[in-house]
Amino acid sequence: MLSNFGSILFFLIFGAVFVCVNILLSRLLQTRNPYPVKLSVYECGELPEGNSWIQFNIRFYVIALIFLIFEVEIVFLFPWAVVFKDLGMFAFVEMLIFVGILLVGLAYVWAKGDLEWDKPEQVPSPELYRTDNVNSAVKITESVAS
Amino acid sequence: MALSDIIRDNINSLNYFLPELLLTGLVLLMIIADLLLKKERSPWMSIIALIGSGVVLFAIINQYELGSRSIFNNMLAVDEFSIFFKLLFLATTILVIFLSIASVELSGRSVGEYFTLLMILTLGLFLMASATHMITIFIAIELVSIISFALVTYLKTRRRSSEAGLKYAIYGAFSSGLMLYGISILYGLTGTLNIYEIGEVLAGRDTNSLALLISVLLIMAGFGYKIASVPFHFWSPDVYEGAPTPITAFLSIGPKAAGFAVIIRFFNVALSNYDGVAEQWLALSNINWPQIIAVIAAATMTLGNLVAIAQDNVKRLLAYSSIAHAGYALLGVVVLSSQGVYATLFYLVVYYFMNLGAFFVVIIFQDIIGSEKIDDFKGLASRAPIPAIAMGVFLFSLTGLPPTAGFIGKFYLFAALIKAGPEFYWLAIVGLLNSVVALYYYARILKAMFFDKISEGVSPEPLKISPYYVTLLAVLGIPTILVGLYWAPLANLASHSVHFLPTF
Amino acid sequence: MLAVGLNHYLILSAILFCLGLFSVVTKKNAVTVLMGVELILNAANINFIAFAKYVDNDLDGQMIALFVIVTAAAAAAVALAIVLNIYQRLKSINLDEADSLAG
Repeated sequence: MLSNFGSILFFLIFGAVFVCVNILLSRLLQTRNPYPVKLSVYECGELPEGNSWIQFNIRFYVIALIFLIFEVEIVFLFPWAVVFKDLGMFAFVEMLIFVGILLVGLAYVWAKGDLEWDKPEQVPSPELYRTDNVNSAVKITESVAS
Repeated sequence: MALSDIIRDNINSLNYFLPELLLTGLVLLMIIADLLLKKERSPWMSIIALIGSGVVLFAIINQYELGSRSIFNNMLAVDEFSIFFKLLFLATTILVIFLSIASVELSGRSVGEYFTLLMILTLGLFLMASATHMITIFIAIELVSIISFALVTYLKTRRRSSEAGLKYAIYGAFSSGLMLYGISILYGLTGTLNIYEIGEVLAGRDTNSLALLISVLLIMAGFGYKIASVPFHFWSPDVYEGAPTPITAFLSIGPKAAGFAVIIRFFNVALSNYDGVAEQWLALSNINWPQIIAVIAAATMTLGNLVAIAQDNVKRLLAYSSIAHAGYALLGVVVLSSQGVYATLFYLVVYYFMNLGAFFVVIIFQDIIGSEKIDDFKGLASRAPIPAIAMGVFLFSLTGLPPTAGFIGKFYLFAALIKAGPEFYWLAIVGLLNSVVALYYYARILKAMFFDKISEGVSPEPLKISPYYVTLLAVLGIPTILVGLYWAPLANLASHSVHFLPTF
Repeated sequence: MLAVGLNHYLILSAILFCLGLFSVVTKKNAVTVLMGVELILNAANINFIAFAKYVDNDLDGQMIALFVIVTAAAAAAVALAIVLNIYQRLKSINLDEADSLAG
């Protein structure tokens, strides 16, 4: 019998060997016929545009944050689903309330327009930038200008 | 325990959980109302929040009749102690709603989310006051922290507000990480997360003192962050200065008092054993917890007071003074006696009036003269006598001079400390010396307002103070003096509220 | 024969904790600091799960681990939103540049 660490070591070695053998095999068996289209980056069949190391639109991050919050709640659903039959009606109602609260949150995000992809650029009204701090005023005007 | 028993206990607990349930319902209602009320800046959100708070207030008072009980399988406790704190938190919230309505900083912004977040924050504070299980303690602290981050950053177009929020979030996440690691070690040592059972296990057998010490110090990182005690106070001056002033006022009372609720419960239930004869808790295990907290208390008040001397910004000065006051309030925790807890509760109520009052005067002056610098406060007494006199009352009380409420509060704290025995005499002396230091910097503000000439270039004509402001000042100022002269009702309430589960 | 026991989990979590602490204390980038905090939280989670298996016969440890995952995500979301806001304002997320509030 292998000890616990032994099996881990076995998996490590097996994984490394498996990958190496396969790469080596394809190297040996393949035919080489490179041409520019084949060498280009694969982007779902589209022609690639520009460098991939660009700064993403800030909306990606907002959507990612919203996704993060809602997605992680699944962690509560799994244990509940496992013992669903034993817990019975009470836990079912509890979970309905929980999901209901989440739905209110989703509705809120939706109605506030944070899920819209083509949200019109918000032009901040000047009164929001009250100059209540000397050095903040400079920075804010800079960031508005840029 | 069988599964059906657990579920039955949960269902039976709902009745005792009414204030929190109502608050949750209120929050959901406010979120929906915010969507339906398309017109931003409408006063409806604050009105809904106020009416909801009123309903919750009745539900809390009703809890006195239900009696003490541990609910949700020992997750939360409903007892006089937690009801006391819930009342304090709700009073804070209601007053901060009134301050926010008046605040110029918040005008011109959509305030729907602001009030909703404020109510969620209140819910988190309620849970902190009644949590008796490390899971609920952790969730409640996180709930309060996360919502506070958002509220501090609420003026997101203002640089100082965003930076304050960033600092608050980073320190908050870090300290709760430390606390969680401490909880995990404590769990390993005792095999349970329920604070009653932790107490039983620690009383029953010897545990590794070094590991226990490390775990409790790490847990203190999370609690100390909430009450802004040394060495977890770094965030507080920046956050207090950068946040919208009503939120600053809220943070200086709500989470701080909630932190004390958690500390008192944790140290008195989990780490010490109640001795009914001496009305005192005896520290468990071989570690001298009282002296460790005593050192933290001494360092907190000394640092807060010494740094406050050098401040020119009144808001920042009050931030450091609130650090110092956390140190004073810790004096009552140190002694681990009923009298000490009682003194701390009394002091927190007194602190509520005088500190909110002082911040409110700063809000008034900030709105009118647009500055929080001590130099710009020169000669304000002649231009706006009512807020200036009120400020005098609040600062006298914060210093602890008779005949104000602050004097009585400090008197109780020091009395409890002296009664606890000679090993705490040094702490009492440190506390008294600190009061003298505090007198110096509070007097600077008073001197600027009452004795200094108005700066050149500033017109000496009187400032207009709206009756709304005067009413709010009276609501805060009159109790500050009244409690200083006749404190029996408040003392009764505080001594009644010392009782927490397990009942003794 | 070497078997994986409680101590191995504790050592792993202690290493994670120290790495997290290190990056919180030394890094200037706000996002890196938040990643350090995540390390600390997950170190605690490993402790909880290990103790739940070896010390406690109840499920408390596993329960708190689930809650930690969720609250950590929520805290990270809010903190990252603040960082985004700061970035839009300052074009930097270096903590040393967030200095308009005197130390």
